[in-house]
Amino acid sequence: MNTVLSSPHAVGARSVGNVMGLVLIALVPATLAGFWRFGWPSVYLWLVTILACVATEVLCVRLRGLSAGKAVFDGSAVLTGWLLAMSLPPWAPWWIGVVGGVFAVAITKHLFGGLGQNLFNPAMAARVMLLISFPVEMTQWLLPTPDALPGALDALAITFGAGAPDAMSSASLLGHIKAEATKGVLLDQSLPGHYSATAFGIGERQGSLGETSALLLLAGGIFLVIKGVIGLRIPLAFLAGVVVPAAIASAVAPDHYLGPVAHLLSGGVMLAAFFIATDYVTSASTPLGQWIFGLGCGLLTWTIRTWGAYPEGIAFAIMLMNATAPLIDQYTRPRIFGRKRDGRSLNPAETAKARAR
Amino acid sequence: MSEACATAAADSAPATPTPPAGPSYGALMKDGLWSNNPVLAQMIGLCPTLAVTGNATNGLGMGLATTAVLVLSNMLIASIRNLVSPNVRIPVFVALIASLVTLIDMSMNAWMYELYQVLGLFIALIVVNCAILGRAEAFACKNPVSASAIDGLAMGLGFTLTLVVLGGIREILGSGTLFAGASQMFGPAFHVLEVTLIHDYKGFLMMILPPGAFFVIAFLIAGHRVIEQRAAKRAAAAQAPLPDGAHA
Amino acid sequence: MNIAKQFDTLWYQGASLAFVAMVTGAALAIASQATGPRIAEAQARKTQAALAEVLPGNSFDNDLMADTIAVKDTDGRTVTVYRARKAGVVTGVVFGMENKGYSGTIKLVMGVDRDGRLTGVRVTGHTETPGLGDKIELAKNPWVLSFDGRSLGDPAPARWAVKKDGGIFDQFAGATITPRAVVNAVKRGLDLYAAQQATMLGEPAAPAAPQS
Repeated sequence: MNTVLSSPHAVGARSVGNVMGLVLIALVPATLAGFWRFGWPSVYLWLVTILACVATEVLCVRLRGLSAGKAVFDGSAVLTGWLLAMSLPPWAPWWIGVVGGVFAVAITKHLFGGLGQNLFNPAMAARVMLLISFPVEMTQWLLPTPDALPGALDALAITFGAGAPDAMSSASLLGHIKAEATKGVLLDQSLPGHYSATAFGIGERQGSLGETSALLLLAGGIFLVIKGVIGLRIPLAFLAGVVVPAAIASAVAPDHYLGPVAHLLSGGVMLAAFFIATDYVTSASTPLGQWIFGLGCGLLTWTIRTWGAYPEGIAFAIMLMNATAPLIDQYTRPRIFGRKRDGRSLNPAETAKARAR
Repeated sequence: MSEACATAAADSAPATPTPPAGPSYGALMKDGLWSNNPVLAQMIGLCPTLAVTGNATNGLGMGLATTAVLVLSNMLIASIRNLVSPNVRIPVFVALIASLVTLIDMSMNAWMYELYQVLGLFIALIVVNCAILGRAEAFACKNPVSASAIDGLAMGLGFTLTLVVLGGIREILGSGTLFAGASQMFGPAFHVLEVTLIHDYKGFLMMILPPGAFFVIAFLIAGHRVIEQRAAKRAAAAQAPLPDGAHA
Repeated sequence: MNIAKQFDTLWYQGASLAFVAMVTGAALAIASQATGPRIAEAQARKTQAALAEVLPGNSFDNDLMADTIAVKDTDGRTVTVYRARKAGVVTGVVFGMENKGYSGTIKLVMGVDRDGRLTGVRVTGHTETPGLGDKIELAKNPWVLSFDGRSLGDPAPARWAVKKDGGIFDQFAGATITPRAVVNAVKRGLDLYAAQQATMLGEPAAPAAPQS
């Protein structure tokens, strides 16, 4: 993530479209892994969600009297749709993708003023809206079974028809341990058979379309860091915000609190830390602010997962921190060269004059 | 808002002649129902508006209860408007309106128990509705009793209309029905109002949860503004037509 | 006399405020006196109606509110038990139970007849997720009626659970924790009745023999 300081600014060689393109490339491996694990229904859902976002973008841009071509081909609508699809249950019905896509682009982005003006991350706002509105459809996870996936035609019936068969759906790891905990079953009994670090690392588990393979997401994130598209502050702070409290809590009471590795590998932490929290528009932009922003996302994620009503808290955590990002920037502005931190001049005479006025 | 009632106090003084007739009743009705609608234009009374409009029936109940209180409080304030010193008018209005609402609440509870079961919840909420004090301050303390009663009625109906539309939109999107439970609230005759628009509807739950109220009311307010702006533009164009008259 | 001339004087402002306070205060006091008994009566009728919901219509002829007894459950919590009598004989009892649901406490009232059969269960307060857990309300879903006629022996204790846990009661799509909490609360209520049946029925504890 680049730091925006006071002028003069150099004009970079990178356009918005260029940056978006790199992010999309970084998403490809994890997405392909998701397609391979969840089959054709997830491909259809991914397509429908992106199409809904692009169509809404064109419509909104037209309604606002702007030129449609530029807005669409800068790739931001495609990226929004892609990220949203990554965070959906892979066999969700088509209308989940459409409703989410329209909400993300029309309400979260264009009603706030379009690209660069939105307060909240469109993909996360849409995911929260969908989770609140359609809790049944949004919690139908299925175990990945690459051998027994439906063919392209049967898959049409799943995405555009009846939806995922009940028998195949199950709770995610975080949902499972939360449900068990309300029964009084502790982690030492509820965890075995549901979690192993290797399976979670390569993505052999239930989860949303793009979150399952933590390692491929990490690889994509590192690619973006090397390319200079994102900085390391927000992702590192985010991961630390999840790992540190999880490590402390699970060391104190391992039966009640999930360990740090399980936290890192589940619920899309990697996806959020590298691809979503680092969104230029909705995150903090000062160096110190980025540390605070990432740390806040991580701590809130862990807090909501541990004590909240919903088992997974990333989308909520990111939206809450989105709302505080302008405030964080306000209080962490770097010192202007030649002036004190509060903006007053270093020259005592001038300060006195300003006071007298 | 300061000294708003000074003009009312001066009513009796010969120096400032009262206008021969206040605004016409028709103008008052149009004001309350549309152009100066308490929710859409004045944006007052939003707390009960957002809180109770999970369905159209609740919106209707809240609206009607508020209308009744508005008419009575406006008449009460108008009838004593020439006796209240502008400096202490706010505490006087607050005391009177709060007592009035409490009296209505208690008497309905005691003598109209069936109706109270339905509207009782809303009556208590009306105490926090700033629309009541707002109309006392903006209208009733400067106008005669009859005009104030009409203003209360118009504002109340405008409030009711907005709440029913808001509740209706949320109910249709959120649960696929309209006026569900109306017969329980207002009596069996209202069973005709109850419609199930979409059968086997899964429900867009956010719409009946609090965030839905904010989204829908934002669109309603925006729509009201667009229509008003277009009307103002048309009126301006009609008054001073451009020389070439080409631009609409 | 022109009152408006007095508006700026302190005595007029003070006096008018005092007058308004006095008049409104007096009006409220009188109204409270006049409506108090009727309101209390209406409230009592409302509570009685709520209790009667979980009892068969013709099973009692007494004033439920006037015939109560307090018992302690296994957690030491005090439970108020309302007794339904017909011709002086206790035909059933009504009491409240609560349990932790998915988000917050679920409160319910349950009616039990002399033989320990459930005559009705109603959820009176909860903060469960709308659209998922709120199907425990009768207004939203008839699920809660599936308890009617059940007792500790019917189904067998092991099957007093939601289907997912091997029991006989339905869970809801996407929500297992909420119905599970309700089933457990009802089961605990029946256990409480079984343990304290004599106290609840207001009969001497000794003759436990007659079981007709």
